[in-house]
Amino acid sequence: MSKLRIMVLDDEPIVCKRLKPALEKQGYEVDTFTQSSDAMKQIEQVDYDLIITDLKMKGVDGMQLLTAAKQRSPKTEVIVITGFATMETAKESFHKGVFDFIAKPFKLSEIQEVVTRAEAKIRGE
Amino acid sequence: MWSRIKESIKRLISGKREKIPFHNVFEQFQTLLQYHQKTMELIADVGEKSGGDYIFDRKYLVDSTAELQDLLLRMVKGLNAISSDRYYELYSTLDRVFYPIEAELRGRLALSDAPYVISLTEIPPDTPELTGGKANALGEIMHRLGIPAPSGFVITNTAYHRFIEYNELEERIHSWLELWISGKESLEKAAGQIRYSILAGIIPQDVTRQIKAQSKNEDVYWAIRSSAYGEDGDVSFAGLHESILNVQTGQVLDAYKRVLASLYSPEALTYRRQMGMIGEEAAMAVLCQEMIDSQASGVVQTLSLETEQPDCLAIYAAFGLGRTVVEGRDSLDNYLVRRTSPHEIISKRIAKKESFIRAVSRGGEEELPLPEERQIQASVSDATVESLAKWAMTLERYFKRPQEIEWALDSKGGIWILQCRRLALSGAVISTDEDICERCSIYPILIKDEGVVAHAGVGSGLVYTVHHNDEMTGFPDGAVLVTKYSAPWLAQIVPNASAIIAERGSAAGHLATIVREFRVPALLGVDRATDILRDGMEITLDTHHRTVYSGKVDELINFERVQSMVFEESPEFRLLRRLLKRIAPLHLIDPYDPQFTPEHCLSVHDMIRFIHEKAVQELIDIPNSMQRFKGAKVWTLVSDVPLDLRILDLGGGIEPNVEGNKIHIESVNSLPLRALWKGVSYPDTWSTEPVSVDFKGFMSSLTKNWDAAGGGVATAGFNLVVINEFYMNLHLRLGYHFNLIDATMYEEAQRNHIYFRFAGGVTDLTRRSRRAQVLAQILSNYHFNVVIKGDLVVARLVDLPKDEIESRLQILGALIGFSRQLDIQLRSDQDVNQFVQQFLDRYTNLTRSLPGGGENEQVKNYGFG
Repeated sequence: MSKLRIMVLDDEPIVCKRLKPALEKQGYEVDTFTQSSDAMKQIEQVDYDLIITDLKMKGVDGMQLLTAAKQRSPKTEVIVITGFATMETAKESFHKGVFDFIAKPFKLSEIQEVVTRAEAKIRGE
Repeated sequence: MWSRIKESIKRLISGKREKIPFHNVFEQFQTLLQYHQKTMELIADVGEKSGGDYIFDRKYLVDSTAELQDLLLRMVKGLNAISSDRYYELYSTLDRVFYPIEAELRGRLALSDAPYVISLTEIPPDTPELTGGKANALGEIMHRLGIPAPSGFVITNTAYHRFIEYNELEERIHSWLELWISGKESLEKAAGQIRYSILAGIIPQDVTRQIKAQSKNEDVYWAIRSSAYGEDGDVSFAGLHESILNVQTGQVLDAYKRVLASLYSPEALTYRRQMGMIGEEAAMAVLCQEMIDSQASGVVQTLSLETEQPDCLAIYAAFGLGRTVVEGRDSLDNYLVRRTSPHEIISKRIAKKESFIRAVSRGGEEELPLPEERQIQASVSDATVESLAKWAMTLERYFKRPQEIEWALDSKGGIWILQCRRLALSGAVISTDEDICERCSIYPILIKDEGVVAHAGVGSGLVYTVHHNDEMTGFPDGAVLVTKYSAPWLAQIVPNASAIIAERGSAAGHLATIVREFRVPALLGVDRATDILRDGMEITLDTHHRTVYSGKVDELINFERVQSMVFEESPEFRLLRRLLKRIAPLHLIDPYDPQFTPEHCLSVHDMIRFIHEKAVQELIDIPNSMQRFKGAKVWTLVSDVPLDLRILDLGGGIEPNVEGNKIHIESVNSLPLRALWKGVSYPDTWSTEPVSVDFKGFMSSLTKNWDAAGGGVATAGFNLVVINEFYMNLHLRLGYHFNLIDATMYEEAQRNHIYFRFAGGVTDLTRRSRRAQVLAQILSNYHFNVVIKGDLVVARLVDLPKDEIESRLQILGALIGFSRQLDIQLRSDQDVNQFVQQFLDRYTNLTRSLPGGGENEQVKNYGFG
């Protein structure tokens, strides 16, 4: 079984730096981006199985990226990570097509659990 | 207008304050209690984030501190509302405490306000932006790990910026760099011009003054070393910048400029360009250390790079100053030593050393031939090799990566750490191609998905279980500490552990704070850990997946080693720790200390503590509020125990529909008071051996014998407890002792605390100090965190589950009776242990209800110091 390809996008480098090794240890292939424009270019090249993205970012925001990614590859699952305060608005404003929402700050085990569930869905288990 | 002024003056002279109606005080106090709870939860929450188990961002830090500030402002307002603005200065305290917190969050904490020069004894932690990587690491080595490093000072980045600005060099440096990058000038020419400009620059008077203040002694020689930000961290500038050894005090300023200039050496510029850092503003702090008159010196590499022995570290040594070793010019003594304690020497190669370097008395150094007979002698003893290995592994555990450590042995045999940096590993040493997930799966899993992460990381070693505090002396360096309890006395072995697994404890508790300080991976609240993990088993803890593997999972350890980032060293975690340092520590321990004032509030926690204490005092301030109590219901507790106890219920603490003003304990709903009272009224508590007294008579004489000058509740001739269903604040005066207990008892462990304070007495201070020893030993036995000062005992406990708070309150209840005439009976120091034992024996039934608490033999060898 091939490894799941995951993209992580958050404009705060610490989020990417910490998620990458944690997810790699779980057996996934992980690319991280702190610039949403770079991530946008990347999804034109690569079909990711899973995208983990922040919402509010300079330039292209998480919403735009999500739309673009889904258009190109409808099978791609998306997990949105956003600040606790903006959580409810985020959920209300779009739940369509999002696999799950996680409020920052979150525990590594929380996101690992959500990713495991997403993987099960992707692999059609 | 005039009448109002007259009124104010009259009030000032008479010292009278406006009476606030009791129900107002009462409501405000309730609200204050809620804010108190919220702030403490918030602080615990932020503290928990520093353990690495959470992913947080800057916004979280900004939001949390803003919320904290808002709550504090409300608390300050609340306290002033019930005290007729007696604590008005707390508003400025609030500004003073939060100003640096806001500055930290704005980034680069007022780097422009920072001092030009900082003594190594006062170096602030987590500030490599100011003091550079090398000096920052040395500060942690000296102050946190307690490993000796030479004294000295740092000339900060702020001084660098001041120097550049004063000599108008910024533009000049920039244009030479441009010329080089665009290919219009050679590297050598550009580098040479910039360095020349720096060497020709004038160090401004204000910087010079501060440097001279730190280097007054003419007899001292200095090692002047670069300490650039980023150096020794992710990016290694090892050897690129200049270090100048054996500098006379009078030459420090010149040497400083030479080290600054080395920031623009051709090698340094080439390296920065390769790393894509040439566009960033460079800056350099400079470390000035007193020279060690070294008979030998050398380097430790915590992984042996030359051999294929992953369980060994390498030590290189030579006679004299360290230059031969660092520059690798000469043949060196070479030791291969086991990384694990007791650090067995695996191989020893004593090289023929023909020369050595020594300091010259007028500064500088010289190379001299070694006498024939010394050439084949070992430059250090085996004992020195073992000590070096032990410290080196402590440093690797703390900095989370293999280290390269420069050391010196002085003429008296003392070992000093000169500097320490991340060891550059080549791919040959660690292979990262393998699939980490697959490789780990071959190891048997002992524990999975259990417990909470107090500090994140991977740690491996042999299991060593500690049940009692006298087992701690045998704890081997680098072992995995396994324990039932997260008792405060475990603190002393935390720095030696490679990982910690405890059955009890929370991520917000005392042990968690300590493991974070020493960066030890720790999993707490793991059921049956002491059953599953047996002494001598080799295990590996990986907190990221909350997994304990059987065996040493090298693949996992190597995976961690090659990650570019050590989370503890990331700017975000440093910022969080700097913030926490201004938020979480509690300095105001004793409310009766003259320094218990707003002026001495140094942290947010201090302010919270101060406000809580003063609010309670306002509430029960009898001399000022006897009238107030007319508006409030004060109950009298009817009991066989001759403690005249009055109860002030804030709500929910007393059974509704009770008539009159006298109640029995059965009608009290306050959980902490009920628990305490169970201990107070325990059958043996009020009968005493060996002093036999007419008990009731004795007690009543004591309880009536008030010290009129004592103030507070005491002067009113009764004891007072303020309660609600989950809270209790008890002020007790028994004879001449004064006892305060403040406790909460909720379902959620993280909301619970007990604060215990005991002082005073009729006998001389020696006996009262013995009594303090007895209380401290008993309380430590039940895992209280205890501080004693003379006859004063302050004990604290947080984050325990409800049932454990209950047992401990029962013990405190029993202790109230036990302690009341203790000082009279403590005739010699030998009596101390005997009375501790007597208490523990007498209350074994109470203590048995505590897991691990009935094992009283642990007290026998308990040294209190």
